Amino acid sequence: MHHLSLRHISKKYHNHLAADNISFEVPQGQIFGLLGPNGAGKTTLIRMITRILFPDSGEILLSGEPLCDNHTRRIGYMPEERGLYKKMRVYDHLIYLARLKGLSRRDAAVQTEHWLQKFDITTWQHKRIEELSKGMSQKVQFIATVLHKPDLLILDEPFSGLDPINSQLIEAEIRALSKQGCTIIFSTHRLEQVEEICSDIVLINRGKVILQGNVKTLKQQFKENIFEIYFTGTLVPQATEGLHIVTHDPGRIVVKWEANTGSNQLLRRFLDADVQVYQFRELLPTIQELFIKQVKQHEV
Amino acid sequence: MRKTGIIIAREYITRVTRPVFWIATLLAPLGFLLLIVASVIISSYDNESTHVALADESGLFDDYFKQYGLADAADGSVHFHVLERERIPEVETLLKSNGDNKKYQAIIRIPPNYRLENPENPVISCQYAERIGLDKKQFITDRISEMVKRRRMLASNISEEQQAMLNREVEVVFESLMDKNERKGYDAAAAIVGLLMAMAIYISIFFYGTMIMKGVQEEKTNRIIEVLISSVKPFQLMIGKIIGVGAVGLTQFVLWIVLIFLINLMVAPLLGVTIANNSSMASGAGGDVDTDAAEILLRNLALLPYGQIIVLFPLYFLGGFFLYGSLFAALGAAMGEDGDQQSLMIPISLPIIISVFIAMNVMKNPDSSLGFWGSLIPFTSPVVMGALLPFRLPWWHIALSLALLIGGFLLTTYIAARVYRTAILMYGKKISFKELMRWAVAGR
Repeated sequence: MHHLSLRHISKKYHNHLAADNISFEVPQGQIFGLLGPNGAGKTTLIRMITRILFPDSGEILLSGEPLCDNHTRRIGYMPEERGLYKKMRVYDHLIYLARLKGLSRRDAAVQTEHWLQKFDITTWQHKRIEELSKGMSQKVQFIATVLHKPDLLILDEPFSGLDPINSQLIEAEIRALSKQGCTIIFSTHRLEQVEEICSDIVLINRGKVILQGNVKTLKQQFKENIFEIYFTGTLVPQATEGLHIVTHDPGRIVVKWEANTGSNQLLRRFLDADVQVYQFRELLPTIQELFIKQVKQHEV
Repeated sequence: MRKTGIIIAREYITRVTRPVFWIATLLAPLGFLLLIVASVIISSYDNESTHVALADESGLFDDYFKQYGLADAADGSVHFHVLERERIPEVETLLKSNGDNKKYQAIIRIPPNYRLENPENPVISCQYAERIGLDKKQFITDRISEMVKRRRMLASNISEEQQAMLNREVEVVFESLMDKNERKGYDAAAAIVGLLMAMAIYISIFFYGTMIMKGVQEEKTNRIIEVLISSVKPFQLMIGKIIGVGAVGLTQFVLWIVLIFLINLMVAPLLGVTIANNSSMASGAGGDVDTDAAEILLRNLALLPYGQIIVLFPLYFLGGFFLYGSLFAALGAAMGEDGDQQSLMIPISLPIIISVFIAMNVMKNPDSSLGFWGSLIPFTSPVVMGALLPFRLPWWHIALSLALLIGGFLLTTYIAARVYRTAILMYGKKISFKELMRWAVAGR
């Protein structure tokens, strides 16, 4: 079942169409990538899912129900531009944000203590936010997002400004939450992370969906039958006859296998050419390549 | 509703628990006292004495001076020195020379051809070597006119008794047909209390309005706003902040009242005077002019319509606070992250400042049409009504004014909320007044 569905969402600002008939589905319990260049309309979409903004037309469904105020408790949101009240103390701040999400004072306290212990930061719970280092306040920010146990977590550029240690910590937490059944929408422009983390993606450009689906399926769909072969020995010209050579270095060749009658057939040509093949693989497009290609294609 | 309560509590607690709140609360009465002392000192400054030489070349006043002299100003600001005729040229030369350390700063000349009975007299001139202030000029003119007038009476053989009779002042007693309490000195007492109330409303609108504005700006600059409004509605956040800051203001007021009461309690026995027994002392002493004035003031202060004041002052206080509070919140949302664009404040500050001018006028002319309209228009009514409350007002006037104020407050809150929810998410661009108007009208 789809956890979140966007159906024909449109949103117009004064003189600019930020979302143009956007539809996509986010599967339950998945880490879902919301991708797009700057100004594509990602933040507008996220703001509509978090009910900060409202679409002009179309509907958003959470677990099949039209999104309403009662759902805010089920959603956790970490915006790209994020901050906290500088004068407040860590503990009080977390309690405050949790209570605004609808937790009782008691539940808020239990959750706050749980997460402070988990991140091993109980020693600074009585410090003011302004006394914290950037890394520390990022941890607090993350806790504030997940404190009320949301089943839909929206992270807008979660790793921006994070040091490598915190990045790793947060990534591990994201994976752990996903395993527990939490659906995560992950918006970023750092596409190498998408490949590592996301199972499904949607690609937005200029307010329109230009690509969506499962990461593995998309890579297969858009593959160009390019193979990379590492070998020792001298390659006879007959081996590459009829192949389009992309690059050819000593010991390494990249070819396009237009005929595409199966990779085994290609491999056999090299084995028969009397060289020692020690690595053979198909080069699938990276998400980044797909992204650039699709964006360019749509701009033309 | 529960979430609004949580927001109110945070806004209140974070402010009230800061040391700066307590310092400000404790020091404000002291600052106010200093302000009064300073204003008295400043207004009474420049009372360095002016010495005026009087040169009577006509000889008309020789006897007069011998008999009556010419009294200096009671506060010592002006001293007269009658010159013997032979010294006149010497003093004139001295005055005209640019040397410092002059004995006289000005000379009054009564010309030789001066005639008491002639209506076309040459004027009496006063030449000065140092500028004389307006008040002193008025005082000198009054004294010289008085002198000529009495001299004319003497010349007409009017006896001292007749003179006294002619000079006796006439008192016109004003009595209100609407309110039997409004008698001599009522206006003055009402003006003092009215001024205090109008100022209290004016200052708190600005002070706490700015506090709201800064609070909203902080949320925008901190970038916490997006997290907050994914949990609560922008309206809840805005109204929560306004009420929270309002509660801070009320706390501060209550503390000040308690503080003033305590100070009075502690200081009064030391001085042996309290306001209450001041009046009994004054009525016992009688006679003395100052005591008389104080007594009249105290008697009139006791006559003010306190029922009306106690019920309506808080209403206008809160009405004004909420009306402007929501506008200040919208402004805070619209202001740039670095707090520039102070010019956006002008459209909001202007009516508040205008209302103070109207209130000043109202104290002099309580029944003027300016005051009437000022007390009805919601943007000026809180301050203007502050000044009008010590006067008994017809019930329909109060009802209409309150109804309009409540209507105005609902309207500004509605408009402010529309501007607020759009402006609060706008980053990195300067918001123009035109855009604010569009958001207010179209909602986006």
